[in-house]
Amino acid sequence: MARQQPIELFMPPNILKAKVGSGAPGLDLAAIKRAETAMDKMRGEFADWAATDVDKLMAARARFGKTPDAASRAALLRAAHDMKGQAATYDFPMIARVAGSLSKLIGEVPENKDLPLGLVDAHVSTIHVIYRDKLTDASNKMAMALSSELEKQVEAALK
Amino acid sequence: MAYQFDRLKVLVVDDSAHMRKLVVTILQAFGIGYIYEADSGERAWTQLMEHHPDICIMDWMMEGLSGMDVTQKIRTDPMSPNPFIPVIMLTGYHSLDQVRQARDAGVNEFIAKPVSIKSLMQRLQSVIENPRPFVRTKVYFGPCRRRRGAEEYRGPERREKKEAAA
Repeated sequence: MARQQPIELFMPPNILKAKVGSGAPGLDLAAIKRAETAMDKMRGEFADWAATDVDKLMAARARFGKTPDAASRAALLRAAHDMKGQAATYDFPMIARVAGSLSKLIGEVPENKDLPLGLVDAHVSTIHVIYRDKLTDASNKMAMALSSELEKQVEAALK
Repeated sequence: MAYQFDRLKVLVVDDSAHMRKLVVTILQAFGIGYIYEADSGERAWTQLMEHHPDICIMDWMMEGLSGMDVTQKIRTDPMSPNPFIPVIMLTGYHSLDQVRQARDAGVNEFIAKPVSIKSLMQRLQSVIENPRPFVRTKVYFGPCRRRRGAEEYRGPERREKKEAAA
């Protein structure tokens, strides 16, 4: 099938390949092993990193309570979204799940409508409890039950 | 034989200092020679101008210029130091729609957080071994959004409709 629209398609020179040369086929397992060792050494810091994110979320919620404008709402969304991405890396998968539910809520309620603050606060409190009790197990029954209920409430709020 | 990663310059952009520390630690373990950091999209642009990195690992959601904004700027700004630099987006976004948005902004590779060492290595190797052709149309400049190359594509021409609408 002939292309009729003006599309310029070209292959830039592969400067990266020229720089780094050829590697053995497949993944560089030695480098991966080194990285895993380095990450394991950092793992002791992860709980403190998660604490920083929890504090950041609570501060963003407090700021939104005082000044509920577009900027503070965006900051609250960023805090929830960061936590969704980072908490599982820091070995708190259930915090990541609840933060995912919270960022969905904040991100999908139209900007011209008020956020359901009770539901926002239920998420923030749950995250705080999961962190406080160091519930790092993704199959923790209490955390799972709370997460499922919050997700249901978010679905209902977004209908 | 392993890649000579010590020759590579990589820019890590993330507004979280902890995520930057984590990614930098992984890249150092990989043997990357030169690693630069930026805590915002604005700072990323400055670092790009100053250091001319070979690869950019970019968070999406940041205050001010987002990772998507920076990627579009890299591809289309006349002052861009390198419109062809591979951008690997490392983000908490997961949905197919968001992957499409990133692709449409000119992102080469997409990694959903949590950070995985293996995924990071795979994407690094992918931009080295399987670079995409670049496409220039009226409304887009960046890596070809069809993974196997446009010349092999035989399906319906969706881009035509989008450009007609634009």
